[in-house]
Amino acid sequence: MTQEPKVSLRGLYKIFGARDREVLTHVKEGMSKDDLLAEHGHVLGLQDINVDMQAGEITVVMGLSGSGKSTLIRHLNRLIEPTAGEIIIDGEDVMQLSETGLRGIRQGKMSMVFQKFALLPHRTVVQNTAMPLAVRGVPEAEQDTEARKWLDRVGLSGFENHFPAQLSGGMQQRVGIARALTANTDIMLMDEAFSALDPLIRTDMQNLLLELQDELHKTIVFITHDLDEALKLADHLVILKDGAVVQQGEPQGILMNPCDPYIEDFVSDINRARVLRVKSVMEPLKGTKFAGDVDIGDNLESLIARSGGDTTLDYRVMDGDTPVGELHMRELVKALVPRLSSTQDAEGA
Amino acid sequence: MAFYDGLFETLGLSEWCEGEGSSAPMSMADLLAQNSGDEVAGEAFPFPSLDNLSEACPAIIQSRDVTKGIEDGFLAAKPALKSFLDPITQPLSWLLDGALWTFAAIPWFVMVPLLVFIAYWASRSIGVTIFVAFSIMLLGFVDHYDVAMQTLSIIFVCTGISVALGVPIGIAMSKSDRLQKSLVPVLDLLQTLPTFVYLIPLIFLFSVTESKLYGIAIILYAIVPVIRLTDLGIRLVDQDVIEAANAFGMTSRQKLTGVELPLALPNIMAGINQTIMMSLAMVVIASLVSAPGLGVNVLRGIRNLELGVGIVAGIGIVLLAVILDRVSKAALTRVDNTRMKH
Repeated sequence: MTQEPKVSLRGLYKIFGARDREVLTHVKEGMSKDDLLAEHGHVLGLQDINVDMQAGEITVVMGLSGSGKSTLIRHLNRLIEPTAGEIIIDGEDVMQLSETGLRGIRQGKMSMVFQKFALLPHRTVVQNTAMPLAVRGVPEAEQDTEARKWLDRVGLSGFENHFPAQLSGGMQQRVGIARALTANTDIMLMDEAFSALDPLIRTDMQNLLLELQDELHKTIVFITHDLDEALKLADHLVILKDGAVVQQGEPQGILMNPCDPYIEDFVSDINRARVLRVKSVMEPLKGTKFAGDVDIGDNLESLIARSGGDTTLDYRVMDGDTPVGELHMRELVKALVPRLSSTQDAEGA
Repeated sequence: MAFYDGLFETLGLSEWCEGEGSSAPMSMADLLAQNSGDEVAGEAFPFPSLDNLSEACPAIIQSRDVTKGIEDGFLAAKPALKSFLDPITQPLSWLLDGALWTFAAIPWFVMVPLLVFIAYWASRSIGVTIFVAFSIMLLGFVDHYDVAMQTLSIIFVCTGISVALGVPIGIAMSKSDRLQKSLVPVLDLLQTLPTFVYLIPLIFLFSVTESKLYGIAIILYAIVPVIRLTDLGIRLVDQDVIEAANAFGMTSRQKLTGVELPLALPNIMAGINQTIMMSLAMVVIASLVSAPGLGVNVLRGIRNLELGVGIVAGIGIVLLAVILDRVSKAALTRVDNTRMKH
């Protein structure tokens, strides 16, 4: 976490409306979203977003509909222009770029996967996949080999000459991902990429993404409204509400210490045993007698299964071959009960 | 005297009224009344029209001065208009004459198979192709082959020019809301203006012996649907796909040729189909201003009360219309099916 962030957003504001710059001052003085709409007829999209996205990590931006998450991701490649703020990618302020420079960044640094797939219906799967290269003017033979390589990687070989409309939703999104991978960019923007898919296919696609990520180490910005999905994928989780960041950080940390009733509500519905990992509930190594060794990355569900429900057991926590801590089953069971916001009373929220 | 005399007196305009103006009779009824010495028994409360006002106040112009003014204005502008329009429309005359000559010069035993082949190539449908062959043979059989070919050649040229001009205009319209707002009333006007009205100013501008006269009339009438549907088609392209094109850094040109036009193609084709149908409708009316073809026979049927001639030519037009419609529609569905596979 010490390295320079790949993408960083600084004081980003977006207000929808004709006089956005004028009403920005009101927002900065603390006017709420509802008041802004009632008094000025402008919609507050994003307010004071500060997020750092590290290279090689999956940053998940989560929020309910209307929380501004799709607006946020479209700022990264300036499909939407911010009202104020800086968008810095590889140390370069995207806001300062000319039209050509912006196109260069869109072609060479960022690729995007869309909720509704957004494939070209009149082109075949392989042509769709090769599209980012065609845009850059890469020779056709090379386009074709690259496209076929990635189609094979996402499990679509044999469908190269089909048209998108002939494929199921899950397969179309695989084309969408293959297209983004063919672009061979460091940054991948995924806008609710799996939200339109049914649950089983969604799990498949999440696994595919994690598998690809293990291999490719891209900087992925993933938008979702599904907390389970967010917790599964995220290295860094950003939770948005009404266009503002409520809490951000490591997902396990957010789960263990929600800082806001809004997040507690979110967190209370999920299967904590499956999401929480040993790392989050372990204690420093003190004891010497253990019922066995567990890995630091195991989830609690697997431990409960292993202990057979016996809460008196203690386990030694291993990170690879080194013991790093110990785990008491009693603590584990306590961790399964959703915690109240630690700062709730202090903030009087 | 006139009903509105009192009005001008109370307004104190009597003096201005007397200043000038003619006291010439305004209608045959007036003239008769003047000669017989009787007052015309007017309405109790006439509408304050120019004529009625002018009766009370000769300084006010009469309605016939309005139409005369339009005519004079047009005639005054004619030399300038002509010197500008003549050169740029001249190629149209050449194209039309050339097409007419070519269609006439190619012998039927080459032309018929060629047309049948074109029909097959465009529609890829055996049924449509057989129908086309049958219809052309039928027209030839009743000795209407030559006139049908004249009509067809005019339609080919006019549709071609309409598409060549209409598609770019439609694209420009879809890109600019302001252009769209200003062009839509013009298109509405072109579409609603009675077809005969097109001919009147054109007759003044060009000589009736020039082919461009009817060419322009047909193109003005037929170009509208292709413009409208190109504009509509591009505006209807899925915004998600456009967003994807933007996100991958396409230039405007790449977007237009790679995304917008292909996706708008079904709509554009529908526009071309309409354009073909409308040029056929207009080419019949344009026979009034010396456009050759089946329309001339229809006109002859009306003028000379030759019922049979008119009806056979009319059926010939219907056959041509059905041929053109079926072939272009079949081409449209083919494009829809092979490229979208819905």
